[in-house]
Amino acid sequence: MNAWGPPGAGPVVHDPMTLPADDNVNSYTFCVELKGSQWFLQKGKMIAYYGAIEFNGVGHGRLDRLVRTSFHSPLHASDWVVAEGSGKMLLADRAFDVNSYDLDDGNLTIRSGNLLAFQPSLALKQSIVPGFLTLIGTGKFVAASNGPVVFMEPPIRVDPQALVGWADCPSPCHHYDHGYLTGVMGGLRAMTGLGGASREEHQFEFVGAGTVLLQSSESLMAEQASGALPQEPGVPGGAGVSGSRGQQAGAPRLPGQLGDLQRRFGL
Amino acid sequence: MNAGTNFRSIVANPRSGPPQGCVRRPRAATFRCVAMFRLQGSKVLAVDMTGDAVKAKNGSMVAYDGQMAFKKLTGGGEGLRGMVTRRLTGEQMTVMEVRGQGTCWFADRAAEINLVRLQGEKLFVESSNLLATDAGLRTGTTFTGLRGASQGNGLFTTTVEGHGQAAIMSDGPAVVLRVSAQYPLIVDPGAYIAHQGNLRQTFQSGVTFRTFLGEGGGEAFQIRFEGDGLVYVQPSERNTFAGDV
Repeated sequence: MNAWGPPGAGPVVHDPMTLPADDNVNSYTFCVELKGSQWFLQKGKMIAYYGAIEFNGVGHGRLDRLVRTSFHSPLHASDWVVAEGSGKMLLADRAFDVNSYDLDDGNLTIRSGNLLAFQPSLALKQSIVPGFLTLIGTGKFVAASNGPVVFMEPPIRVDPQALVGWADCPSPCHHYDHGYLTGVMGGLRAMTGLGGASREEHQFEFVGAGTVLLQSSESLMAEQASGALPQEPGVPGGAGVSGSRGQQAGAPRLPGQLGDLQRRFGL
Repeated sequence: MNAGTNFRSIVANPRSGPPQGCVRRPRAATFRCVAMFRLQGSKVLAVDMTGDAVKAKNGSMVAYDGQMAFKKLTGGGEGLRGMVTRRLTGEQMTVMEVRGQGTCWFADRAAEINLVRLQGEKLFVESSNLLATDAGLRTGTTFTGLRGASQGNGLFTTTVEGHGQAAIMSDGPAVVLRVSAQYPLIVDPGAYIAHQGNLRQTFQSGVTFRTFLGEGGGEAFQIRFEGDGLVYVQPSERNTFAGDV
């Protein structure tokens, strides 16, 4: 779709009649139609609206029950807003590509910074993977990406920066190229870049049935707080974890970190 | 655009027929040539000139062919009064006048460019979003009230008035929304870039005690447009004071 419309017509002028209902206006703007219904949005992603729409923080008075039904965790609810009323509302995020996705009794895990808005029929939960959120149920959600999103089938290994999310049940795990990262020479190579480091030695690997969503660039979107983690042992990324190795499970291990070298040398 | 702009069809064969930039001015008995604006891609503005001039943001020229002269205009080319006004209002604009024969290309930091054709109406735009105007258009400053303050752009905005074309910039392609009597429009101050026509704007604030508890709606400041006209919004929000509450 083109903001300028067909050649010769000049820019397209939209009014409430011509704006699409729950569809993209152009690649960067999404229009949501509200008919007395509700949508959840991340704070500050609304750019304009027609009609009577009210924005309230989640947890506001009578909306408190939404935290129970759709958020399940009060930990990150303060970053979300409920839009309620009737009219048409435009959503956009820092001129990134936006797209809507339909979930039909499914589940999808997405990087927290990429999720813009979703219908209350979906439940939003924190993923076990730190920095990711999981949507469960039936409904529509809107996500942003840097460049259009491509869908891939596992088994697949993807670049960590290009990963947007995954649906259904592939199992995400880290993968390292062994030839590059083992042995003294490998460690030196990864640490110093001498002898050639392609900087692609580390990937995410997905196996199992499902779909993996990738964006067509490697620039990450700013991470949105996905809620503090409970201070409990056994929670990945939580402060309760104090690994005996001193390696935080949440922080991705940088190739060539001193801890790795020490282990390689058996120290 | 309601003005039935047909600059796109001209783009298809730019070198055919008589100079396309010539329009018949209602009051002038002769044909007068004005610069032809066209988009090359969505981020580069090409202006075909036949001895006439355009005003453009200082330093935004990326290429030209033919003969061009670039002259910095002090005070936005609005004379001494404009210069003083701009200095006082903080609506600074460094503008150059480009005059010559040939084609000149303009671009600024890969911002998307939107063409606006004005037929006597007034276009209100932030000076930082204005890329180029026909030399025949008058530019000036006007008071906008609290809207400006909420987006961190000061209390004043730039106006462009007259007959001709202007190019405005946005972060991501702008969406043009029509405001009519039965359909007022509410816009986030950070996404607003320009408006034209006969519009009244009111500033509405949703700041309640909840905002101070950190449970605000995230859209505490909004501009409401009523009347008849067009509003340009960009799919991105500038960092505003209002963005945090």
